[in-house]
Formats: sequence, structure tokens, C-alpha cells
Amino acid sequence: MGMRTAVSTSTGLAFAALQYLAAAGLVTYVAGDSAWISILVAGLLALLAWGYFGELNGMFPTAAAIRRYMAHAMDDRVALSITFTYLSTIVLVVAADAFVVGAALTHVLHLPAGVTVLWILALLGVAVLSNLRGIKVAGWVQDIATVVVLSATLVVSVVALSRSGTALHAPLQPLHHRSGADFVESVALGIFLYSAFEWVTTSAEEVRDPKHIHRAMFIAVCILFVVCAVMTTAMSHLLDHQQLVSAYPQLYLGQRAFGGAGLWLMAGITAVTAVNTFNGGFITASRFIYATAREGSLPPLLARLNDRAVPWVPVVGLGGASFLVAVAVEAVGGSSWEVLVAMGAALEAMIYAVAAYCVLRLRGRLPAQHRPFRVPLVRVLAVAGLVIFGGLGLVASVSVSNRFNPLPLVVIVVIGAGSVLYTVRQVPKLQAAEAARRAATPRRRPARPTGAPPPGDPPGTTVP
Amino acid sequence: MATAGEIAEAYADWQTRCNDNRRLAKMLRNWDRVVHLVASDTGDGFTVSVAGAVLADLETGLVGQPDLVVTATSEDFADLFWGDLNPSEKYVSGEIVLAGSSEDVMRLDAMSMVVFLDQ
Repeated sequence: MGMRTAVSTSTGLAFAALQYLAAAGLVTYVAGDSAWISILVAGLLALLAWGYFGELNGMFPTAAAIRRYMAHAMDDRVALSITFTYLSTIVLVVAADAFVVGAALTHVLHLPAGVTVLWILALLGVAVLSNLRGIKVAGWVQDIATVVVLSATLVVSVVALSRSGTALHAPLQPLHHRSGADFVESVALGIFLYSAFEWVTTSAEEVRDPKHIHRAMFIAVCILFVVCAVMTTAMSHLLDHQQLVSAYPQLYLGQRAFGGAGLWLMAGITAVTAVNTFNGGFITASRFIYATAREGSLPPLLARLNDRAVPWVPVVGLGGASFLVAVAVEAVGGSSWEVLVAMGAALEAMIYAVAAYCVLRLRGRLPAQHRPFRVPLVRVLAVAGLVIFGGLGLVASVSVSNRFNPLPLVVIVVIGAGSVLYTVRQVPKLQAAEAARRAATPRRRPARPTGAPPPGDPPGTTVP
Repeated sequence: MATAGEIAEAYADWQTRCNDNRRLAKMLRNWDRVVHLVASDTGDGFTVSVAGAVLADLETGLVGQPDLVVTATSEDFADLFWGDLNPSEKYVSGEIVLAGSSEDVMRLDAMSMVVFLDQ
């Protein structure tokens, strides 16, 4: 994997279809056309997180990095509980993307609302089947998909803005007729626009130069800022409230730029976002579950492979879970997807806070370990990150549609409690079973004959 | 430390098991790869080639352009080929280091799992 693919992977994983809805939702928290300021602040905070992941990935350049740095920094049971909770973000994003793409296609084709469920089924079905057949989107396809999605979004936003013919409304006054709390909430939501840029660290073993990952994440955050800032400015300037809170604000933006053709263009672009999200989400999550099952922390069933060496149980499970969540969002209706956005933002902020903690902790525990990149002023920046991301995560988890709503927090707590319960009760049993299996399995490697020279000694020497 | 001879002996056993396993033959279909093994403690290098779903004999030295590079101690290589070691566990703990695509890593791990755990 070269630098270009590393950048497209990082950017493409972050820029899911749900970003359009999150960007439009963010607009409602701030005055006029000033949402870009929230995105800028969130981007600067994402750069703080980039520093943490850069240092941690440099220390552990492996797909299993999250397990390794968390295991070094904290109790393994805590690390596993956090990791399982974090994994739920992937299900949320895949489910939300399936819903967003399905809703967009239903709208543009003027189909009855119920058809969205069929789109969701078809999209996830294709994703699951292609995964089971071991089909992985090639790096160059991923590059093209990312460039097409980001360029089209940028062009549509700029053209729509240029056609509006009116000056921006309060582009520098986010607090005009708004409270500071609104701004904080918009920043918390803004974090979600960058979420998953760090997933590229799981490709650490695939890059030609380990520094590519670190640089790619930085470039991805900068690209995401530009695209999201321009897009939200266009949305805030051109779309009314009903359009902003709909499940397909990007289609209205396309319509404002190019009329009916723009509507179709953005529907197509929305579908293309799923290429990266589904490909990255399914592969990252299923392989992680497989590795965790292989090390004995999840049931062995999850490590079963099909004839194409694909862990089929995690793939089917992820597809099924995503389908249920997506259908629940469709069935509840309204802006229920905003709960997913809030949960995603909260979980992402949580993992950034965990990364800050790990950086700080490992400076003390593994001081001599090689670090190609070091967070400067680590005590200040890591503690600041811990406090800021912890606070933003909490804010994001109790706010939906600019109103107090603890549902995201409740769901996260339920998932987290389930993870803790599983880690405390089931993992020790699985580990004991695995230890018993190994103890009962005789060692196959022949014992060295008595009197043989210890391996590694010069030939000809004998043990008396 | 395991000697190069011990690693070669262990590999020969693994090779036979892999090549005799029908399920693995399906898994390795169209997976023609060159894998370099580097023993971090002895500095020995070995090359494993897979072509037509068949594992070739172990070559001493690093031959050709690798698709995957596996770095571990010589003891771990010997244990791994005898099936006495769980490579995933060693990988997660950082004792086995890999360089290559995630699909190739999966296939390599699959070989150990299928021939020893029959899963």
C-alpha cells in the first residue's frame, strides 16, 4: 500500500454517507453559515487525536495495535471491554450507511418509503456475500471511490453556493442568538465528521513505509475539514430546516447545484460512499473478531473459516446486526438516525480519550520503547485530550436534534455493561477451556535427545 | 534457540499435513505466494513458496520477492510448524511480526488452524 491508498483509506473510512446527515445536523446548532467554525475546532481536536494515534501506531505498527497498547496501558479486562464497546461503532456506521443509501435511492426513484428496507437488505446482502467470497475492494478502486465522492461533494457544494447569489449569513458568528452549550454540542458532533480516520492504522503491516500511515491520517483530517466545511456552509446557506433534518440533505444540495441531474448525481455519490464503508467496516471488524476468538477471548465459533479463508460467522453476524439496526431506524422513522450519529460521536470521543490515556500511561510504563513520532508536551496535551474528549463524548451522548435526550448514553451504557459482563464472566471461562484443551493435547514437537548439544552451540560440542 | 535443521524438520511435517489436507487445498486455491521467514534470534532466513495450492520444500535463505514476511524467534517457528503454538496469540502479543496484506496474513493463520484444529 502506497501513500495515496493510505490517504484514500483514511479519508474514505471517515467519509461515510452518514457524514452528510451529521453535517446537516451540525448546522442546526450554530447561527447562520458559521458551522465551519465548529468543524475547524473539531478538526483541530482530531489533530490532537492524530498525535495520539501517531505515537501509538509508531510503537505498535500492527493491525492488532489497539489490543497491544491498551493491554500495556490498562488491565486486559478493561481493555477488552472498551474494545468490544468500540466495535459497536462499526455496526452503527454500517447500519446507518445502509439506511442513508437506501433512503436516498427510495427518494430519488419516487418509491414508497417501505422499499427502503429492501434496499437495506440488498446493500447489506451484497456486502455480506462479497465478503464471504473473499472479495476485497482493490486499493485503486478505493482510491477512485474516495476521490469521486469527495470531489463531487466539493463541486456540488461550491456550485450550489455560487448559484445562490446572496452573501453568507453570519459566517463568523456561531454564537449569534445561540448559547455556548450549543457551540460545544456542535463541536461534539463535528468530531463525528472525522471519525474512523484512525482505522487506517489497522493497515500498518501493508504499507511500504510505516511513516505513510501517520502522514496519511494528517492529510485525511485536512481533506475532511475542507470538504465538510464547504459542504456545511452550502447546506446552512441553501437548505431549509425540513431539508436539513431529512435523511437525504445531500440530495437537496445536489438539486440546488444542478437541478434534477444533481439529485441523481448525489444519490449515486451516496451509494459510492458505501463501497469504502462496507469494505473497510466488514473487513476490519470481522478480522478483529476472528483474531480475538483465536486468542481465546471470544467463542471458537467466531474463528471458523469458510473455504475462502473468511471468518464467516463474524461477517454474517455483522451483516445481521447492521440490518436489524438499520431496519429499526427505518421503522421508528423521524430523525431516529440522529441517535446513531450521537452514539457514533460519543464513542469516537471516548476512544480518543482512551488513546490520550494510553499515550500518557505508556510514556511511564514503556519509556524506552522506540517512538517514531512523539506527542509534544505530552502531559499537557494528553491530559487536555482526556478531559476534552471525555467531556465532548458525554455532551454528544445526551443531545439529539439540539435537545436533551439521554437515549444515546443509555444505549452506550447498555452495550458497555454487556461488554464488561461478558469480559468478566465469559472470557475467563473461554480462556480456561482453551488452557484445558492445550493441556490435554500432547506436544507434537519431539523432545531433544539427551546428550545432544544445546541448539545454537557450535557443532561438535556435547553435553556431558 | 532452534537450529535451522530443527526448523526444517518441523516445516517438513507441517508441509505434509498442509498438502494432504483437502479443505486447505480449497482455501489455497489461486493463492500463489512467496513467504519469507526471518528468525529474529539466529538471523536465519527461509523461504516458503505456495503455488497451485501446494507448499514447496523449505528453502534456506531469503529467495525472491516476498508477498509476506514473518519475523519470529527460531523456537516459535519450530513450535508453530509442529502445531504447538497458536500464531494468532503470538501475533497479538507482538512476538510474531508480519509485513504483508491482511488477506495473506489470514491465509497463513488459516493454514495453522485448519491443519491442527480442523476448523
